[in-house]
Amino acid sequence: MSTILRLSLPLTLWLASFSAVYGLHGLLCSSRWTGPDGRWPLIAAALLALALQGALLALIATRRWPEPEPTLHRTSLILAVAAFVGTGWTLMPVAFVSHCL
Amino acid sequence: MNALRRHRALTRIWASAPGWKGWFTSVNHTDLGRMFLTVAVFFFLVGGILAMLIRAQLATPRSAFMGPETYNQVFTMHGTIMMFLFAIPFFEGLAVYLLPKLLGTRDLAFPRLTAYGFWCYVFGGSMMIFALLAGIAPDSGWFMYPPLSSTIGAPGINSDFWLIGITFVEISAISAAVEITVTILRYRAPGMSLAKMPIFAWYALVTAVMILTGFPPLILGSILLELERAFGMPFFQVAQGGDALLWQHLFWMFGHPEVYIIFLPAAGAISTILPVMARTTLMGYGWVVAAAVSLAVLSFGLWVHHMFTTGIPHMGLAFFSAASTLVAVPTAVQIFAWIGTLWRGRPGLHLPMMWLLAFFATFVIGGLTGVMVAVVPFDWQAHDTYFIVAHLHYVLIGGFVFPMLAALYYWMPHFVGRKTYFKLGGVAFWLIVPGFHGTFLLLHWAGLLGMRRRIDSYGPGQGWEIINLIASVSGFVMAIGFALVLIDVIINAVTAIRGSRDPWRAGTLEWAMPTPPAAYNFASLPHVDSRDPLYADRELPVRLARGEGYLGDPARGRRETLTVDIATGAPRTIVVFPGNTALPVLMSAVTGLFFLGMLVKDYWLVPISALGVIGCALAWVWSLGRRAPEGPLDAGRGAVLPVASEVADPPGWWGSLFLLLADGTFLGSLLFGYAFLWTIAPNWPPPAYAEPGPAALALVLAGAALTAVGGRLGALAGVAAALAGTVAVGLAALAVLAQVPDPAAHAYDATVWVLVGYALLHQVVALIMMALVAARRWAGHSAVTRRGAARVARLWSDYAALVALLAAAAVGLPGVLA
Repeated sequence: MSTILRLSLPLTLWLASFSAVYGLHGLLCSSRWTGPDGRWPLIAAALLALALQGALLALIATRRWPEPEPTLHRTSLILAVAAFVGTGWTLMPVAFVSHCL
Repeated sequence: MNALRRHRALTRIWASAPGWKGWFTSVNHTDLGRMFLTVAVFFFLVGGILAMLIRAQLATPRSAFMGPETYNQVFTMHGTIMMFLFAIPFFEGLAVYLLPKLLGTRDLAFPRLTAYGFWCYVFGGSMMIFALLAGIAPDSGWFMYPPLSSTIGAPGINSDFWLIGITFVEISAISAAVEITVTILRYRAPGMSLAKMPIFAWYALVTAVMILTGFPPLILGSILLELERAFGMPFFQVAQGGDALLWQHLFWMFGHPEVYIIFLPAAGAISTILPVMARTTLMGYGWVVAAAVSLAVLSFGLWVHHMFTTGIPHMGLAFFSAASTLVAVPTAVQIFAWIGTLWRGRPGLHLPMMWLLAFFATFVIGGLTGVMVAVVPFDWQAHDTYFIVAHLHYVLIGGFVFPMLAALYYWMPHFVGRKTYFKLGGVAFWLIVPGFHGTFLLLHWAGLLGMRRRIDSYGPGQGWEIINLIASVSGFVMAIGFALVLIDVIINAVTAIRGSRDPWRAGTLEWAMPTPPAAYNFASLPHVDSRDPLYADRELPVRLARGEGYLGDPARGRRETLTVDIATGAPRTIVVFPGNTALPVLMSAVTGLFFLGMLVKDYWLVPISALGVIGCALAWVWSLGRRAPEGPLDAGRGAVLPVASEVADPPGWWGSLFLLLADGTFLGSLLFGYAFLWTIAPNWPPPAYAEPGPAALALVLAGAALTAVGGRLGALAGVAAALAGTVAVGLAALAVLAQVPDPAAHAYDATVWVLVGYALLHQVVALIMMALVAARRWAGHSAVTRRGAARVARLWSDYAALVALLAAAAVGLPGVLA
């Protein structure tokens, strides 16, 4: 199962963080939200997601979480890079787009 | 024992019953795979006839061919049949037939589950066809958006057929997904590590996991909408705290991954067939696996791009627009890997290859128009027009039907064991491909000229007439082509001469057996050292027939195969499969009564048939394993292995684990829906929140703890603990429901009822499982033969405990926060 986890974890983390940031955005823009306004919680959440992806990528790239099979090691590395880049790309709107319009 | 005697002995053990009886009692994957494919093709023909009716209606302006009521049923059923009764089941059929052969094993992980899933598909599909013939078919579109599909917009039984019939059919998809997942992970030839798996198996694994996580949101949505229609629980009624957009979220959380659930198996077939046609191996195996996994996961983050016109804030649009463009990257990686494979090889222009070329041309266009509609301003213009209809047909026909035609012609010699001649197939190709483009390429223009989807007629003078006429004529040309394919297949199956074992000189294991395949697949199981075992060893089929692999001696006289370690493929256990039985068809018929009771609102039938299903399930499980342990057995090639039912993680444990993945996704979707209503829906908060209070919370805590502990105690003490836990959770549930006595009052009240019902259902399931483990002890099963079953029961009791706690938190939290 360790191999399957190594392959599936980075993008699953992307999906979880992407959904969480979207949910947070929904909450912050809800008429029922009474807390502080602004995009900073979204930026913080996006940066946290990016940091987690970076840590996971480092874990897989540096063989601290070893995969003895070279093909699958390379595949899990590709997936970790894809998840890192994907997190940056899909959460980029938190910095540039009007958040509750 | 010589090869012929071994063949006869194994056939006696593995064959389905002869004649019509075999149809209803077979649990053999080859038979069931063929049956799945045949029924799926039947539904494709029905869906195709409906498509022709649509094109006949739209061929000319102000057509009186069909009235709007009939047209609504026809286009709804066309989409529904093609998506739910053709595409997914066709993949299931192909996977059921092929996977054990590709993986070098003798059957799927749970043969009776294969049969149960098949019969649920047949009965559920029949329900839909009955509705069509009776003129009471669903008519709200294949996406069933409320309020069009609510009692306000669709007061008849039409929408109920969709909600209940499709949920019934989805049992089949979930069943197939569980066993495809477990089969790929555990039932491979020894030595076949994950990195040596055939590429189709990777795609099938990814697709199966997608079904397990993609279908539950739709099942939940269907249940909620049916609860609203039947009992007035207002999940989608704005005036009572619901929101119609909740359905769109739940539907597209399923609906977008569904596109990839359809495409990925086709991509698996392409990645298998293309290298053989090009006489080389697949370029970039690891990259292709990564692309398949990426596509699968990314597809779950795209669902809102179907909702760009629903008034979502700009940042939300930007999230999903970015994710939608991202998905083009892994798609392109696959396309380039296939082009690279062609470049490296020496492609021969056989008929499967021609279908693959048609796929390339068509799917790339569909993919590019997909990127266009991922861009929000363009989507705002093109949404709900024929541009989208054209785009989705380019993706689905180009991305699924064409590769499946390649697969059909590639594996037909395997299905029928005959040398195929493709003259008629070639003619069909030249009718279907130009016919397809003549139909759908032009419809992009119709969409850009403003032709809306789902309209039953249009007036003259809008510039759409000539486009629609050409599209309709081309559509009929395409239909003639498909009819020729059918005739071609029948002629080949009946009249062609006997063919050779491996006509394409492929490297994968399905060609390492005589064709048509014997019921047992392999006379002995291979040891695999290469990704293309037949390229590495051309004599392998002969040696397997001689019994030189694993389990080559049929002396024990029962259906046996091996399980392996997930990563390395080292052999681990011997699995003993059940024999032929009518239990799956009986259980699916009783399951059908459960759904029928809900459909016709004869609710007395529902609990009775539920008890019937439980009775069948208990009979099913009771027959598993022996009372006394057998100990390690000879598996051939010097391997001595334990029997799977005597180890801590039997196949049933893995099956339960993946079924719980689907179950957990269902719960996650329910909690998402609850949070969505809480934050977004108008008319919240409700008049009053339920406040469980310390006593009810203490009861839930105690109940969850007792259930979890019960799963660890086993036998009588475990059952007593689980029973006490169920009673405690039940009492807490009663206390909560007393505070919201009318589930039809507000969406919050309705959600609380569903959460509580879900928690109680799982308590009862865990209790039944523990009672079964205790009963097996009383019946004389030893501690060793009970071990696996006890761990399965523990898995379910732990989940039940977790659900109770989550449900209590979800019910109580809004009241606390308010």
